[in-house]
Amino acid sequence: MLTRRQFIQHLLAMGVSATSLAAFLKACVPPVAAPTATPILPSPTFALPPTATAAASTTVPGSPQAPALPTPPPTSGEAYLAVARGDDPAELTRRAVKAIGGIERFVRPGQSVIIKPNICVAYHGPEYAATTNPQVVGALVALCLEAGASTVSAMDYPFGGTPEQAYKISQIGQAVSDAGGKMVVMSPIKFKSTEIPTGKDIRNWVVFQDALKADVIIDVPIAKHHNLTRLTLAAKNMMGLVENRPSLHSNLGERLVDLATLFKPKLIVVDAYRMLMTHGPTGGDLNDVRLMKTVIASHDIVAADAYATTLFGLKPEQIAYVKAGAARGLGTMDLQSIKIEEISV
Amino acid sequence: MRRARQVTQITALLVFMALLLATGGGQFPAAPPSLFFKLDPLAMLTSIIAKRQWVSGVAMGGVTLLATLALGRAWCGWVCPLGTALDLFRPRNPSRLKATRLERWRAVKYILLIGALGAALAANLTLLALDPISILTRGLATFLPGLNRILLSAERALYNIEPLQSAIDWFELAVRAPLFSADVWRWWNTLPSLLLVGVVALNTVAERFWCRYLCPLGGLLGLISRVAIVRRVVSQAACRHCARCARACPTATIDPNKNYASDPAECTVCLDCLPACPSASGQSFSPVWQVSPTQEYDPSRRQAISALGAGLAAAAVYPLLPAELRRQPQLIRPPGAQPAHADGDNEFLSACIRCGECIKVCPTSGLQPALLEAGLDGWWTPTLIPRLGYCDYSCHACGQVCPTGAIPNLPLEAKRAAVMGKAELDRARCLPWRDNTPCIVCEEMCPLAPKAVEVDTFYITDPTGQMIEIQRPHVIPDRCIGCGICEFKCPVEGPAAIQVTGKHF
Repeated sequence: MLTRRQFIQHLLAMGVSATSLAAFLKACVPPVAAPTATPILPSPTFALPPTATAAASTTVPGSPQAPALPTPPPTSGEAYLAVARGDDPAELTRRAVKAIGGIERFVRPGQSVIIKPNICVAYHGPEYAATTNPQVVGALVALCLEAGASTVSAMDYPFGGTPEQAYKISQIGQAVSDAGGKMVVMSPIKFKSTEIPTGKDIRNWVVFQDALKADVIIDVPIAKHHNLTRLTLAAKNMMGLVENRPSLHSNLGERLVDLATLFKPKLIVVDAYRMLMTHGPTGGDLNDVRLMKTVIASHDIVAADAYATTLFGLKPEQIAYVKAGAARGLGTMDLQSIKIEEISV
Repeated sequence: MRRARQVTQITALLVFMALLLATGGGQFPAAPPSLFFKLDPLAMLTSIIAKRQWVSGVAMGGVTLLATLALGRAWCGWVCPLGTALDLFRPRNPSRLKATRLERWRAVKYILLIGALGAALAANLTLLALDPISILTRGLATFLPGLNRILLSAERALYNIEPLQSAIDWFELAVRAPLFSADVWRWWNTLPSLLLVGVVALNTVAERFWCRYLCPLGGLLGLISRVAIVRRVVSQAACRHCARCARACPTATIDPNKNYASDPAECTVCLDCLPACPSASGQSFSPVWQVSPTQEYDPSRRQAISALGAGLAAAAVYPLLPAELRRQPQLIRPPGAQPAHADGDNEFLSACIRCGECIKVCPTSGLQPALLEAGLDGWWTPTLIPRLGYCDYSCHACGQVCPTGAIPNLPLEAKRAAVMGKAELDRARCLPWRDNTPCIVCEEMCPLAPKAVEVDTFYITDPTGQMIEIQRPHVIPDRCIGCGICEFKCPVEGPAAIQVTGKHF
């Protein structure tokens, strides 16, 4: 039996050790900046995409300066943007990347690479064009490994269905492991509130930390329809790396650019082999799919998206995030001003 | 023999746990899902009575019945995972002599059994919530998400400490993610777990209290054990009246006042009495070709008929209860489950044994056990709560793991067409309708082709006098299947601006 004295002693000892443990743990945690409230409603500077032309292109006073491009433009010879057309998605990918300077321009030996395809749902196979073409992803994994990357992992966080199932149904899981890469399920503990210093509308969001640690992010969207933004392309594809996605939708254009400035994808490969023309992003009807047999590659996320936009018969300035990205200096949507190499395979 | 029994028990418990833990995230062990429910003759018998239909795999329950006919309640002593759990949490120094003041309670299990059978005749399975496999499965299925939440927050907290990160990465990949899928947990999910804890806690009153006094499956197997072939036989010639067998018996059925005879309906054939006996031929388990004598605690004929009548009456009188106490037709049931009729008839409730398998397998944790929202007789039946999780368009696992077919086993294409409810849009809450904030999340999320939510473009003058273009969603009810992903993803805080209401006739 415990005497009263012993009981109080035990209580004290436990209290002291618990407090010191808590203090230790707290000391180990890096100080976090006071969380800024994430706006649900549009900010005062919010401009609606199609009609408010002036508002979006003028820089708001006090807004952060234009973010530096993650990869500098090509220095000599290589194309700024490459478009490959032909029958074999894997070969199109290799040729397009080669034309803009080869994978060595983006991936150096020993670097860790995250490939981010669009695997937004676990509903349909790749022929429905809701998810990125597995052969495009597989070819990129192989290229990165050839360039000497230390690890090549691919991932997405589907909004419908489990990641495991989505990886299987999209056939991307198989393609990635066949090519020697690692298909990763994004663990919930790795999502953390993160400051976006270059953010204009959002300065803070909960994002996947491993994506910030990776040396290289390769953004591999499939070109498809989406009602709010009209098209889902490379900038929109970065949404798979963040949490609380429904809340992004007000003022999505600006916010997607904010996210792109955080993740800084070094290489953009837009899969337009099959394009989903309507009922995106989920698809499900083969009549909505157009076989375009095209792959676009560039270091410039705005230019890549701008070019993909033209494949749908739309103008780059009709896509809010392309326009916002160009206005903020993330890249160029002026396709006349850049060197585009068109390849037939 | 003791060793052999323990190995069998632990093996059965491990198989049970492995099957349970492997069930989740829309995945489940290929063969056979819900093995222990198929082996459970109480679950099988009552569901074929209540459904008035055969249930696939019912023959496996028949195997248990035949084994009981041959060997007595060996299921309870050798196989039942709840019984094994009770043995693991055995009181340290159990008093194993007859607790005379509790003897009358042995009748309760028969009363519960007869009540459950009576209610099953009236197409009601509420008492199956007390089936032992049900208690264990549901108790764990609703507790594990809570444990997962605890693990997740511990991992998150420790992940901030740099040196621990690789260890946590390993734990996350090797332990937490494969074993725990669901992390949605509501406070009343503690109730099924508390029932399980309570059943284990009763062990401190008397060893295997649950099996002795309360278990309706034990009651069913006990009834059959009265005519079982192999039974414990005491040799009066060799018996030395040392009472060691009585002290060794976990169900305290060996009665020193009756020449150490035992009631085969209470004996779990654990064989612990054999090595306790100092005499080599003092007792044996051998064939006996007569019905075992009735015991003073056996329910009288009057009690049995009353229990049957009470079960029948409770189920039959139920539709007379005030409307607000009756089952609520707006509940969203799992895909393919029969919706409630306006008159209160409900084929789904007549087939659901409240086992929790569907809740365990649901990849989004949208399926949750109802408390009272499904009516007094619908407690712990599964309902979809879209604000917690949606019905995954690519998943048809709940119908495949359901042991009684309450959720039909639909192929994926048929499940995708199964209507669970209909979405309704609340324009007073919807962002683009209420304050011109762009949002089309419900349309974007809708998995159907063509979509059941569509947007129209409106050109309106905003308060500053500027002409703006805004997309506003609307539902096309004929297409909607009620999967609830729109309600789940709706970014409006609090109740969603688009909500699914369950289907009803």
